Amino acid sequence: MGRLPLEGIRVADFSWIINGPQIAQWLATMGAEVIKIESQVYIDIGRTNPAGWADRQAGVNRNGFYHALNYGKKAISLNLATPRGHELAFEIIRKSDIVLECFPAPTARRLGLTYDAVRAVKPDAVMLSVSLLGKTGLEPAEWVGWGPMACCFVGMFDAQGYPGGGPRQTGGTWPDYAIAATVVFHALAALRHRRQTGEGQWIDASMGETVIGQMPEWFMDYFMNGRDPGKIGNRDDVMAPHNTYPCKGDDTWIAIAVANQHEWDALCGAMGNPAWTRDAHFADQFSRHQNRDALDVLIGAWTRGYEHRELAATLQRAGVAAGPVLDSVELHDDPHLWEWGYWWKMDHHEVGERILPGMPVRMSGVPQLNMSHAPDLGQHNREVFGGLLGLADAEINLLIEQKVIY
Amino acid sequence: MASQALSDLRVVEYAEMVSGPMCGKMFADLGAEVIKLERPGAGDEARRHPPYPGDIPHPEKSGFFLYLNTSKKSVTLDPATPTGAAIFKKLIASADVLIENHAPGFMASIGLGYETLRTINPRLIVTSVTPFGQTGPYRDWKGTDLIEFAMSLTGYNTPTMVDDPETENPLRAPGHAAEMMGAATAAASTMMAIFQRDLTGEGQWIDAPCWQSTVNTAKIEMAAFTYLRMPFSRQRGKVAVGLEPLPCKDGFIYTLWAADAHYLALKKLLGNPPELDSELFDTLAGRQDNDDVLRRIFREHLLKHNVEFLVREGQRLGLTIGPVHTVAQAAEHPHLRTRNAFVPIDHPMAGRFDYPGALVQMTATPPAATRAPLLGEHNVVILQRIGYGIAEIQELRAAGVI
Repeated sequence: MGRLPLEGIRVADFSWIINGPQIAQWLATMGAEVIKIESQVYIDIGRTNPAGWADRQAGVNRNGFYHALNYGKKAISLNLATPRGHELAFEIIRKSDIVLECFPAPTARRLGLTYDAVRAVKPDAVMLSVSLLGKTGLEPAEWVGWGPMACCFVGMFDAQGYPGGGPRQTGGTWPDYAIAATVVFHALAALRHRRQTGEGQWIDASMGETVIGQMPEWFMDYFMNGRDPGKIGNRDDVMAPHNTYPCKGDDTWIAIAVANQHEWDALCGAMGNPAWTRDAHFADQFSRHQNRDALDVLIGAWTRGYEHRELAATLQRAGVAAGPVLDSVELHDDPHLWEWGYWWKMDHHEVGERILPGMPVRMSGVPQLNMSHAPDLGQHNREVFGGLLGLADAEINLLIEQKVIY
Repeated sequence: MASQALSDLRVVEYAEMVSGPMCGKMFADLGAEVIKLERPGAGDEARRHPPYPGDIPHPEKSGFFLYLNTSKKSVTLDPATPTGAAIFKKLIASADVLIENHAPGFMASIGLGYETLRTINPRLIVTSVTPFGQTGPYRDWKGTDLIEFAMSLTGYNTPTMVDDPETENPLRAPGHAAEMMGAATAAASTMMAIFQRDLTGEGQWIDAPCWQSTVNTAKIEMAAFTYLRMPFSRQRGKVAVGLEPLPCKDGFIYTLWAADAHYLALKKLLGNPPELDSELFDTLAGRQDNDDVLRRIFREHLLKHNVEFLVREGQRLGLTIGPVHTVAQAAEHPHLRTRNAFVPIDHPMAGRFDYPGALVQMTATPPAATRAPLLGEHNVVILQRIGYGIAEIQELRAAGVI
């Protein structure tokens, strides 16, 4: 096996839940040694959320939420609220290249996990702090919150909706993942800068600001024209039809996007060239865009008769951009995701063989990522405290007894 | 002046619209020299997308293009012509990274596939950002941001909390979210390849798809299926409760009230309304079963208060609560302004406007955007650098190669 990109880089990972773990997972699967510092006192709720327990059986090492976001890592259990625990955490920081945390600012201060504290023991550390709206600035820097709250703050959910309706939510926790790969990019740039100059730094990442950077259409219109484009549904500025349409079955949909006359002709052909397609209202790209609502009704009446995956394949064969809206069952069975290599099979001593989502990239120089299963709570205590920090077995035993290693 | 983290890297960007250009922007704003290749005459398709100042279309004034292409150099070149391909190969010879977002197989079809490029420059990292990736049954499918987003579980689940699935069809996220996610995957993995090159001396080919990057944003929802056989639903009552923008007196707030502690804090924030003194609401299961009633009570009381009060007091009580801003409110917000989330950039033709600023803040090497290039602005300087004389450059221009 070849050398993984981040071989030799160590990460002291204090993060939990989604965004920090996804950042650390990028680093771990690419070969960094990620030491996840947890404790029964501050347990990652990915371990305890009942909605992820394998086969509904409780257990901190049985949770799919945790398993999906923490493979490739090592884990130790260390109670940071004890003085010795705090001291040991900073021993690990002293031996690490990257320090990662995603607590709200008041919690980070209470735990002593600030950039000032980190650079006092490790001046060239690259510290990654991920939060709702950044850890500096005005009052919102002190708020507790989670991903979707960042979308709300920066206008994403106000722009997410049907024309004329109220603000709606983008599915899942979008900014947690948006910020993950973004922080990884900037963290590696910072590490590279350190290699060249010896200088460390603090990355103060705000989920809100990353989302702003993903919405130039809205912000540039506001800055250029003083206008907020508001809610546009699935409308595109030039394409029509450009929407999701109902298919056969319950809550089943297909997305179709037509960019030019050639694709329109192809779509008409696939529909069997019904008479309405020759109506003057739909004669060219401009008129179709002008009359898109009427067009959507007619296309929806046609799509309703078909199975969404079959119809998408048919339209793609005809040269029309189309795709089925896939639910969890369909994604799990999706032949493209399997063949491309997104899903992977994990073998785990407590939950057996499970299918997990992988990483969204393939690299010719990295035929196999580090995909060791997510660690059990405290699985690497002996290795890290004994090996990395050089504590004797007797001392480790004592720390366990004192609930410092806990 | 702060230094730039990537100022020793040279990137060639042969890409249009969002996915490839956004990846290039991330490198350029950190100081890499990004040479953007644009179609002679027309340039990047993004130049023909709004917004424009005063709504007057102009290829040098698209706010969409100007944002996605900050800090780059523009060279007009058609690598699909023999002379264009020769120039392309010379550019590649001294580059660290090529970012491209053409359909799979296109680069090879014009004689510039990875296997060819690596013989010219074995240290080259080729980053291909595409809708579905370089292998698999959808490889040759046409993808747009709508398609890539809709096909993910996040797409199925947008908008969340649907009352009537018949009338509330799945929506795309605002902007080009799936393409942006592909760009972030591409940028992160390209940096990985640079680190690996430091170890091995060799470049590589990166397959960074937008759809898989978007599918990846539903990791826990997908794990819930493989661990509990629990299919995810977008319909209200079939997903977690207590997550949605709620109207109050002067706008909307967003909060979580599922967990006991949050529910109690919200109750207190609203002055402990007597209607909530019912054992129906004492447990999470009870609150889930009576979600309709509970929401009606919350709505009624939230309408008595303004956003500022609810957020300030709610946060003080430990509630996860925040305002739902419009884009206009966000653009003027003092917290974001204090953090320089928007930065002014001058452009000789479009004028001076604020732009979204750094994606993340860095203390030693902050991302710093300079204006986007005019079409072909750097033709002469870049071609001279790779050995072309002024007379030759004029001939290339006359022949439509650049």
